Amino acid sequence: MTAAERITITLLWAVGALVFVMLYGPAFMVVVLSFFDISRDGIDWGSFGFQWYARLGDNPQMLAALGNTLLVGACAVVLATALALGLAYYMKTGIRRGRPLLEFVIFLPFVLPAIITGISLLVAFRELGLERSLITVTIGHVVLILAIIYRMVMIRLESLEDSQIEASLDLGANGWQTFLHVVLPQLRSALVTSGLLAFTLSFDETLVTFFLVGGEPTLPIRLWAMMRVGFTPEVNALVSIVLLVTITLAVLGAMSLKETMARR
Amino acid sequence: MTDLSLAASGADPAIAGARAPHRRWLRRTALRLAVYGVPALLILVPLATFLVYSFWTTVDGRVVQSFTLANYVDFLAKPVYRGVFTGTLWLASIVATTSLIFGYIIAYLVWRLEGRLRYFLLLLSVIPLAMNYIVKIYAMRNILGYNGSLNWLLVHAGLIEAPSKLFIFNQTAVMITMAVIYLPYAILPIFLSLERVSPSLLAASADLGGRPGQTFRNVVLPLSLPGSIVGALFVMVLALGDYLTPQMVGGNQGFTFGRAIWSQFGMAFNWPFGAALAVVLLLSVVLIILVAAAISRHARVK
Repeated sequence: MTAAERITITLLWAVGALVFVMLYGPAFMVVVLSFFDISRDGIDWGSFGFQWYARLGDNPQMLAALGNTLLVGACAVVLATALALGLAYYMKTGIRRGRPLLEFVIFLPFVLPAIITGISLLVAFRELGLERSLITVTIGHVVLILAIIYRMVMIRLESLEDSQIEASLDLGANGWQTFLHVVLPQLRSALVTSGLLAFTLSFDETLVTFFLVGGEPTLPIRLWAMMRVGFTPEVNALVSIVLLVTITLAVLGAMSLKETMARR
Repeated sequence: MTDLSLAASGADPAIAGARAPHRRWLRRTALRLAVYGVPALLILVPLATFLVYSFWTTVDGRVVQSFTLANYVDFLAKPVYRGVFTGTLWLASIVATTSLIFGYIIAYLVWRLEGRLRYFLLLLSVIPLAMNYIVKIYAMRNILGYNGSLNWLLVHAGLIEAPSKLFIFNQTAVMITMAVIYLPYAILPIFLSLERVSPSLLAASADLGGRPGQTFRNVVLPLSLPGSIVGALFVMVLALGDYLTPQMVGGNQGFTFGRAIWSQFGMAFNWPFGAALAVVLLLSVVLIILVAAAISRHARVK
């Protein structure tokens, strides 16, 4: 390496470090603020402590929103997983000419801007006479996360030997038994990984949810509403916990993704 | 063994009788209907409804279901909307370009590393994707604001005398915030396109006497750039459709096309017009996707 190249690389690392500070700075700030009292004059640096974590219960609306988010996420992941499993298994068994078309449709909400997906669902629900509620939010999340789960399940299914399914059928199992006892056990890691990633996605989803939410807000929507008046310290505390949990989930998801890919 | 499997398979035509093929046909059709019907119902039907909506109008706040091009004519006739549209395209291109530059730097640095550190830094660059979007906007607003950390830093460093209002509630604020929020979306695709550069080419370049800088300029960059641009275009799509970032940090000056669409579904309550604006957005996004697809196809042929 010449001196010029070494200097360039060092400079690039300096820029890179700055970028990482930019990426993590915002979240870091919220976490720091959650440990202090904030008054009109600014931050009271002497007030360090976990007092706001102890007072999380003072904000029942916030906790209700968190509960809604967890409920929506869990329902959406279960529904989307069932649907994705069915679709992927159907496409894998036998020659399906509709497969490219189906995959194109499933991937649409993933590629199109969230605002388009949100408006489409909003307009369709209104024409159907479906009131906005957590149910419409859940349907919206199913639409969004279907593609990820389908893709991950399909990758795993593609790596399975066809002979396994054929052998099972030859030995007298019907399609359902084959799926349950031969295919499903081998999909477990793919399902866990995609479920984790999908749940993280649903947990933070804001731009589609905004169009579909009714009287019961999810956490991001509630946070958005609170942002106009500024976050109170107990909101900072809750957000810090949420950040910790989602980042842990994402890391777990990424690690099991690496494993799933390695096992192929 | 053979006897057993025959008996268990139940495929004994003598017992099943003549009704079996008919029932099987019925089952297969029902299955096919479900497989294609459910995604169509969840995704295609809403999209179609939304397209149809853009050709309707409102009279006194009520939707009138008669075909008209009035919404599109309105969009084209009003310079305000056209201005916001081109302004947002410009904004999204800047966000995409910054994410290309900084995303490439990060991805390249990580790509050069080996072993655990490489995996760790890659993870570190995608984790921000899992951080709550609203929280990121909120924190960015605190950083960029009049009493924010950026102003505090600049004043204490002696670069400016008094806190500046230049960083909040304008287009610059929207641009900076979007650049920070959407950068991680670019890093991963750029990293993957670097990964696709064949190691044998790098070895060949080194064998032929190419210094690292030359290898980068003549081998790595040309081969990884198409995939990186595709990643940046993905960021552009995200920036184009965002309506909450401009609303929260943009103030009155930071009005974007996404906000214009959103306001039609909120305060303005003109859904058909909002749908028509969204169709315009959809068309530009489709165009961007086609460009991205063309770039990746071209790169693969080479």
